[in-house]
This record gives sequence, structure tokens and C-alpha cells, in this order.
Amino acid sequence: MALKTFRHGVHPSANKFTKDVPLEDFPVPDKVYISLSQHIGAPAKPVVNVGDYVYEGQMVGEAGGFVSAPVFSSVSGMVKSIVKLPTAIGQMVDHIEIENDFKYDKVSLPKLVNPSKEEILQRVKDAGIVGMGGATFPTHVKLAPKDPVDVLIINGAECEPYITCDYRLFLEHANEVVEGTKLLMKALGVDKAYIGIENNKPEAIKVMREAANGGVEIVPLKVKYPQGAEKQIIYAITKRVVPAGGLPAQVGCVVSNTHTAYSVAKAVFDGEPLYKRAMTVSGDGVEKTGNFWVRGGIPFSFIYETLRGEVPECMSNKVINGGPMMGFAQADLRPVTAKGTSSLLFLSHKMFSEFEPTQCINCGRCINHCPMNLVPRDMERAVIKEDFARAEKLGVMNCIECGSCAFICPAKRPLVQAIRLAKKEIRSKGRK
Amino acid sequence: MAKYIVSSSPHITSKTTTQKIMLDVIIALIPATIASFLIYGLYPIFIMILSVGCAVTAEWLFNLVTKRQQSVRDLSAIVTGMILALNLPPVVPFYVPMVGSFFAIIIVKMLFGGIGRNFANPAITARIFLVLCWAGVMTRFVNPIDLSNGMNLFSYFENVVNINLPDAITSATPLAGVKEAIEAGGNPAAGLSALDMFLGRIGGSAGEVSTLAILIGALYLLIKRVIDWKIPVIYIGSVVVFTAIFFANSEYVGEYVWTYLLGGGLMFGAFFMATDYATSPKAPLAVCIYGIGLGFLTVIFRKFGSMSEGVSFAILLMNIVTPLLEKITPRIFGMKSKWETNGKKIGEWFKKVFSKKQKSEEKEAQNG
Repeated sequence: MALKTFRHGVHPSANKFTKDVPLEDFPVPDKVYISLSQHIGAPAKPVVNVGDYVYEGQMVGEAGGFVSAPVFSSVSGMVKSIVKLPTAIGQMVDHIEIENDFKYDKVSLPKLVNPSKEEILQRVKDAGIVGMGGATFPTHVKLAPKDPVDVLIINGAECEPYITCDYRLFLEHANEVVEGTKLLMKALGVDKAYIGIENNKPEAIKVMREAANGGVEIVPLKVKYPQGAEKQIIYAITKRVVPAGGLPAQVGCVVSNTHTAYSVAKAVFDGEPLYKRAMTVSGDGVEKTGNFWVRGGIPFSFIYETLRGEVPECMSNKVINGGPMMGFAQADLRPVTAKGTSSLLFLSHKMFSEFEPTQCINCGRCINHCPMNLVPRDMERAVIKEDFARAEKLGVMNCIECGSCAFICPAKRPLVQAIRLAKKEIRSKGRK
Repeated sequence: MAKYIVSSSPHITSKTTTQKIMLDVIIALIPATIASFLIYGLYPIFIMILSVGCAVTAEWLFNLVTKRQQSVRDLSAIVTGMILALNLPPVVPFYVPMVGSFFAIIIVKMLFGGIGRNFANPAITARIFLVLCWAGVMTRFVNPIDLSNGMNLFSYFENVVNINLPDAITSATPLAGVKEAIEAGGNPAAGLSALDMFLGRIGGSAGEVSTLAILIGALYLLIKRVIDWKIPVIYIGSVVVFTAIFFANSEYVGEYVWTYLLGGGLMFGAFFMATDYATSPKAPLAVCIYGIGLGFLTVIFRKFGSMSEGVSFAILLMNIVTPLLEKITPRIFGMKSKWETNGKKIGEWFKKVFSKKQKSEEKEAQNG
């Protein structure tokens, strides 16, 4: 039987060097900086003052609105200050600086046994759970869809090169992922859930199939980027097409991430709010690579210095938070780990691509690989002419920014980059 | 503090470059080049060297004069030169490929902005230009070299400047025979062997004669995914269909189909020229229209035109239509197609009419 997939897409080399490295706890520095903006939406509001003593797992910032989530201290210790630091996506936001006393005195939420739908929803909200694939959309909002939903999809495709933290979760915490999935199902009131896993992870598929029960089904997916894109994974698994500009719930689906499901199980059964996550550190710029349990608020510079070993600093020429296809290049190492920090890559020149764009040869590869069936070639031309109206007419707002077009372009043209510019321009015009 | 490179994602790109694509096309043209050597000796190779040399020189000079960045390293000029040489009769005088190459590169390609921006396939347009300039030498074909008959690999070299070929060595192309059959009636395949045409032991343009060599090169391009199967397959398929339609009332319709398939430049044109990136549409529907248009025009030109061949004119015309076809864009994922919405409307209308009819029938039945 042909494996389930979507149309078009590309095949970057997987580079999953860390897939056999088990998760281990990452050391914690003397000071952590808890970001108040670890999610999409309004930043959290600080609820502690400088000089307060906080416990590990204590809420230090409450949700700043409906589309927002509380944040928690990852260590016990004294609140030193509130400082502005750049996040991994380059915004300057308030961070709560906490001096680690290395006692790890812990507070947790009450453990729930056999929780009701409402209890799960409340817990997801209270534990500050957000989509942990990178988009960090608050999960409690996602669990209250406007349309009736009948299918939950857990995205375990992990189609970005290098990243292996979800894979390790499958292997090491299969039961928690399945239990978390079942909790999400209960919260949504659906009786069917699919966990989509790319077929290049046969061990994960095997382990998860053994662990799956109660309406949870494991679906092997074809290895193709962007298999883990929301609309694409919905199409691959259910053959439902999310309308352009629409939300998954309109076709009765909710998509959540593997790590999110795991964190829901932790929050409900162990009462542990979200302040710690699995993360992959890879690349040739550091000596020790692997998968780690990292607490929130650890500066990237601390991660780098801990893992660098003997590798000279000149071997790290690009630092990427996230995968190489959609991740964010870091200007410096001041940002800290947060709920959405799935990976950190330290790459030397030979591991990423540096090409001067040449003239478009009109080969049509961008068109034939776009998973959204767009025409990146024409969009880029419109952007070069600053004709954003035309770009909008061509459907630029439907772009999921997966980067397949710029990846495949033989002339190495910055196609998705131009599209991003157009989207930004159109959005800012819309606001005026 | 270390300086990091910051750029917008993606941070990795595929290994395919313009240069590699062009290199693949050059490799794919080698079987046809070898075939032209085996069939006509060394003279077509000499013509190809001239043609490629002039094409590269023309591009280099143009960039130099207009103070543009040198672009010869993308190898596309070599491809144009090779395709043009393979499109020429095997015994043209030396100046023909030179003029052709300059025309292809300067007029058709560079003046319109260089690679990817040519309005039509440079080699095809140059070939048509040459046919108009030197109709005589551009339609004079020769027999394959016959080594047992006192000829050698250098046999055709006396034609470097000489344009008056002795009748003994000139040959009619298979399509010329077909043309006669169209006008005079009779069997278009009389005296033709399908095997000879498949291998290329016939008269014709240097690179077009051996279907076998072309298919080997085409297979390479398809495997390397340099070209898509759709354009050539739709083109060749529609030639078959339209030949069958236009010759439906002839008793030799089968013969017309296979001579049209194996004769002339159809195979070479379909795989190497109709698939030119810059001048072929990309959306699936547009590709279908393009391919069917090519097939239709080719058969029309071959059957009703004054010349026996029509592939190059068909490709040139469809090249010019391509900007129009490019207005057809693929349906965005998640967007409803016009067909679908309109289809649904029609469906609803039918349902309405049908249910009305049913109701009135039921009423009548009740009344009755």
C-alpha cells in the first residue's frame, strides 16, 4: 500500500544524527531567565516581584489574555530582576531573572485521576501548555474549536532535518504520549486520534503501535518535507482539504504536536506545569550533540559553552533555533530556552547553504514542489516590482512558508523570503 | 563575541543548480550527437563545434559589450549551440551554424534578458531564420555515409563552402515522401523501413534522425528529473490522435501515423525543445493545452503546409502562446475550483428541475 502523504514537497537530507542518543537532563546555570512571551498571543504578566523566593514549578507570569498562557519558574531561588532580552525570533520581551539555589524545591498542581473533560481543559490552561512543535499556539484555545470536530491528529512527522526530540519521546515515553493523546481526545470529545509518524522512523512506529490503545491509531507517513505542516498532515491522514484561509476545525480536525500530548499527560497525571521540554542540540559546531531535557530560561550561550568541548568557535557560523528549513538564525546567544525551543543547531559553513542568487531560468520547480500549489516564481517577481497587490492576488497569503520553493530553486532565488516580505507588507496595510 | 550569519530560512538548499541542469542536458544530447557521427561521419561534429563555439562567443561578447555579469559558465549557451547543430541538415556550409548561433544567442536570448527570459526557444527560432535565409541548403539532405561504397568519415567535408550537392548523394527525407503521398495519393510508407527510421539510417537533420539515440537521451533527462514527462507525452500522443483524425478516410492511416511519429523532428522537438523551461507553461492544465496545441499544429503544418516538416513552426507558435497560457495558475490547495463551484451549481439546478418534474409527475399521478 502506498504511504499516506500530500502533493508536491521536497526531500532535504534528514541529518538525524542524534536519533540514537537517549534524552538526558541538561545542566542548569546559576541564573535562568524565564521569558514572559513563550507563546503566540499576549505576553504573560509577571506575578512575582524582585526579591521574592520562587519554587520550581511556581507560576511567575499569568496569562495576559485569552490567547496567552502562564509561565513557570524552572528552578527554585530568588527573583533578581526583570530584564529585556531578545527572544529566539528577535523580539525584545521581559524575562524574569531567577538566581538558582540548586535546591529544586518543587510545587506542583494537584494530580488528577480519571479527569473529566472540563478538568482536562482547565488543567491544560493552568499548566500553560502550548503547541510545542514551534508555533507555540496556546493549546486550550485550540481545544475549544468553533466547529464540530471528530478527529484528533498528533503530529509526529518531525519532517525538519536534524530534530529528533519527538522521536526520542516516542521511544522513551510511548505510554505518556498515548495517554496524553487520549486526554486530548477526551477534551475535544472525539473518539478517533491518529499519530502520524514518518516512515523513516520504523522503531518509533513499532513502539507506538505496541503502546497505542483506545481509538489511537499510528499512521506511517511518506518521508517528505513538509509532511508535518498542519494542512498537509490533515490531507495525508484524512484526505480532508482545509479550505484556503480556513482552520483545521472547519474540516473536523485538530492537530497537535507529540510533545504537547506528552506535556498534557505530565500536567494531568503528575501535576507538572510546562517549564521543561525535550530538545535536540546538533550540528558540527559543538562537540557533544544529543537530546536533552532542558528547563526553561537557559541562555543559548550556556548551552553552547556546555556542549562546545574542543570545537573552536569559528566552527559555529550559523546558529539556528528550530530546523534548517523553517528555523530562525540567531544573531547572538542571548535568547533563552522556552516552550517552543525544539532544537538548537550550531552549523559550520559547509552544513548550510550560501549561494548568490542567479537569474531565474523559469524551470517551474518552485511551482511543481509547492505543497500549497502556489506560483512562487510570479510572487517573487511581483515583490521585486513592489507590486504587493499582485502578490496578494496570486494568493501569497496562502503560503505556509515551508521554504520548499527556495530549497529546490536551482538559481537559488530567495523565493519564500520574498513571499514573507509580501505577507508582512499586506498584513501591515490591512491594519491601517 | 562570535559573529553569526543571520538570514531568513530555509538555511539549506538542494544541490541542483542551473549549471548542473544544463550539464545534464548536454549529457542527454550526447547519444544524438554520436548517432549523427555514426550516420553522417565527422562533418556534423565539425558543424557542432562551430555552432557551440559561436554560441558561447556570442554570449561572452554580448555580456562584455553590455557590461553585464558573465553568464557563459551556466553552460546554457553550449546547450543552445548543440541543439541548433543537431537541428541542421548534416551538410550545411560552415557559415550557416555560425549565423544561426549568433542569431539564437544575441537576438532571441540575450536581447530579451538572457537565460530564462527568451521569448521562444533560441535554437528553433534560429533554425526557422536559417530556413528563411537559405531555403536551399536548409532543405537539402543527404544519405547516410556508406563506407562500403568508397565513402569515408570525411566524405561530406567538401561541402564546407560548396552548396551545390551532386544529385547522387542528395536524399529525400521520409517526410518528403509522405508529403508526395498526400498530394499524389498512394502509400506514404512506400520504400520506408520502420527499423531504419528508428535507428536513423535515413536522410534528415543531423540529430533528428535516430529516434533510438533521442530516446536514450530523453530517458536520462526523465530519470534525472530535468524534464517532466507531460509535455513530450501529450505532444507525441496528440500527434498520433490528430494524424489518425486527419487521415481517417485514407486507407493508409496506420502508415501515416508511424511515419509521422518516426520521421522528421518530432521526437527531438518533443523531448529537447518543447520542454525548454523558459518557453513552456507550468500549470497542469496549461501544459495539456500546450501539448495538444503542439500536436495539432504539427499535423496541420505537415499535412497542409508547403513544407513537409512542421515541428519547429509548431513549437515556435506555441512558445509565443506560452505567456498567455502562463496566466492559468494551478488551483491553490484548499481553494475551490471554478469547475467545482460551477459544476455544483449546475448539479443543483438539475436537481431542482428534476425534483420539480418528479413532483409534478407525482401530482399528475395523484390527480389521475
